[in-house]
Amino acid sequence: MLKKIALAAGLFSATALASNAVQADVKVGVLGGISGPIAAMAPPMLESAKLAIRQVNEQGGILGGQKLEAVVGDSACNPQNSVDSATKLVNIEQVAGLIGPHCSGSVLAVANSVTVPAGITLITPSGTSPEITGLEDKGQVFRTVPSDDFQGRSLARTLLNLGTKKVAVAYLNNDYGSGLANAFKVEFEATGGEIAGYAAHEEGKASYRSNLAELSRGGADTLVIFDYGDGTGLTILRQALENGFFTNFVGGDGMKSDAIIRELGAENLTTFIASSPVGEASNSLELFNKAYVAIGGNPDAIFAPNSYDAAFLMALALEKAGGKAAKVSEAMAAVSNGQGEAVLPGEWKKAVELIAAGKDINYKGASGDLNFDNAGDVPGSYGLFKVEGDAFALQQALN
Amino acid sequence: MELIGLLNYVVYMAIFIGIYCLLALGLNIQWGFSGLFNAGIAGFFAVGAYTSALLTAPESGVHLGGFQLPVVVGWIGAMIAAGAIAWPIGKVCLRFRSDYLAIATIGVAEIIRLVVKSEGWMTGGARGVNKIPRPFGDLSYLYSQLAYLALVLAIVLVVYWAIERQISAPWGRMMRGIRDNEDAATAMGKDIKARRLEAFIFGAAVMGFGGALFAHFNRSITPEAIDPMIATFLVWIMLILGGSGNNRGALLGVAVVWIIWSASEFVTDQFPTEFAIKAKYMRVFIIGLLLQLVLRFRPEGILPEPQGTASSPEVKTTQKQEGAAE
Repeated sequence: MLKKIALAAGLFSATALASNAVQADVKVGVLGGISGPIAAMAPPMLESAKLAIRQVNEQGGILGGQKLEAVVGDSACNPQNSVDSATKLVNIEQVAGLIGPHCSGSVLAVANSVTVPAGITLITPSGTSPEITGLEDKGQVFRTVPSDDFQGRSLARTLLNLGTKKVAVAYLNNDYGSGLANAFKVEFEATGGEIAGYAAHEEGKASYRSNLAELSRGGADTLVIFDYGDGTGLTILRQALENGFFTNFVGGDGMKSDAIIRELGAENLTTFIASSPVGEASNSLELFNKAYVAIGGNPDAIFAPNSYDAAFLMALALEKAGGKAAKVSEAMAAVSNGQGEAVLPGEWKKAVELIAAGKDINYKGASGDLNFDNAGDVPGSYGLFKVEGDAFALQQALN
Repeated sequence: MELIGLLNYVVYMAIFIGIYCLLALGLNIQWGFSGLFNAGIAGFFAVGAYTSALLTAPESGVHLGGFQLPVVVGWIGAMIAAGAIAWPIGKVCLRFRSDYLAIATIGVAEIIRLVVKSEGWMTGGARGVNKIPRPFGDLSYLYSQLAYLALVLAIVLVVYWAIERQISAPWGRMMRGIRDNEDAATAMGKDIKARRLEAFIFGAAVMGFGGALFAHFNRSITPEAIDPMIATFLVWIMLILGGSGNNRGALLGVAVVWIIWSASEFVTDQFPTEFAIKAKYMRVFIIGLLLQLVLRFRPEGILPEPQGTASSPEVKTTQKQEGAAE
């Protein structure tokens, strides 16, 4: 009998403790494309977001020692599942902010039908569609990845400055590829270049030789590829090299993948350059890489730094807003606007002290300096990279 | 606060179920009553969604449009467009039987998806159509959702009533006759090709309506929404599980499958995080498993098609009289 009472008392106190702990948690939603078309890209992104949250908890927690908890939802990269998952996170889990979703179409649908009506701030690490800029979002939608417009345009201008006047463009037929290609084409033609071939391709085919032959018919010797270097982009580059369709190759940030060097060999890639975001405070990226490798992550995974930044920024904004969901959007715009004391990835304790002291902070992220504009976009600073030795090396900055 | 949150979620689920009910009802006309294996639901869903979106959205430099017509016009346009697309497809494909028709419709849906993705001047390509007006969209979160739910429910009821009427009319019995015994129907002088085409267009128009409601709810439509997994096969699972040939079964199937899909995430989230993420893949598997089990142990679905209307002459005559009187 006594045992039973003791057991019951023990259980009771355990549940009481547990419920206390739950109440003390600050929840943020992490909405990722776990199943569906970007299933392969999502795990590193989730891992890096969780790394940020772990750092917050290890360095004293949020809002006076509370634990930051991530509730993960599956967006499956389609609006149907994303809105369902976001509705659950916002209404049932009562998250204070949403990190994600990962795909542009999901971001548009979730912002329109869940987070903006509910007054929750959303920050996406990988929604690159230019449409996100124009959302009627009351300033509640942010992203840590530049709109495709920025990169496409600056790459076009830089190529022209380098003396490349005539190119063919091959792009992956999704929001990433077509967004980049479209921005590139508009800017390249407007500033005097000639597009001698412009074609979309579907992913996952064994051979793109017919596409390449068609593209090379225009007479350009430079091929611009907007695709992923660990996917279809690799196949295209390999087949273009093997068959000699083109001599020079230019890629977007998705093509700056170590898989290309590993598979094709640095000696074959002397005429290959790729643009990619660069952080001006480049030790931000090093700090992130070090921490990420320590938990077994691969820092070259696409969008992993962006995802980390999104999570870290959400934590900073929550801290600054005092945990009030309605104030998070304002705080988010303030924690990375180029003014105030610099905070680097992992420097949570320092940031909390600065916020407590009422000082402005400026988060310099692993994926770049960020600095949100009025639409919640980041301008992004890009560099052109060439292959040197067995790695990518910065050749010049893009303007 | 918690309670309002729960209410918001329930209302959202009901809206979503309502929209998918239209897809399932459309498929029920085609498969349940007419035996047409349409594996291209996503295509008609897309045509409806994009037509309504383009008719009602404000001007944008990216895609066609800027007509800003009233939402109702968009919805009617969606039904007409989906039906109009179904006409040539039906003309060509309905000569095929069962599995061949399925292959042909999968192909057609893929063509529509690729056209939507590639013809950016018309559809906005991967950027999609945005800023689509949502009826009652200016209200606060809960009231806006409630108002939209009322709208969706009213539409589902009207469509359900219209289909029930059509199915219990002589037309419905004729379609079932054609489905069950084509030769006998031919011998009775029925024009099978034309009748099948009617059912195909009717069903496609209802699916297009569902697509339109979906686009207006999210105020945006992108090609990601017309993935065959979520827009075709999920609807098939719903209909088969609920009971094809029975409209109430179709509605029940949608509700059951979506509630299992959506609410199972709460269960899986109770696991430790590492498992919780893995369990999200499992949910896809569970839906597949459910379909297998239903097909194995209850192939007619939860609510099977009512049998025996043909063998009880009284029911038949009353129905006939009703049909004649109306």
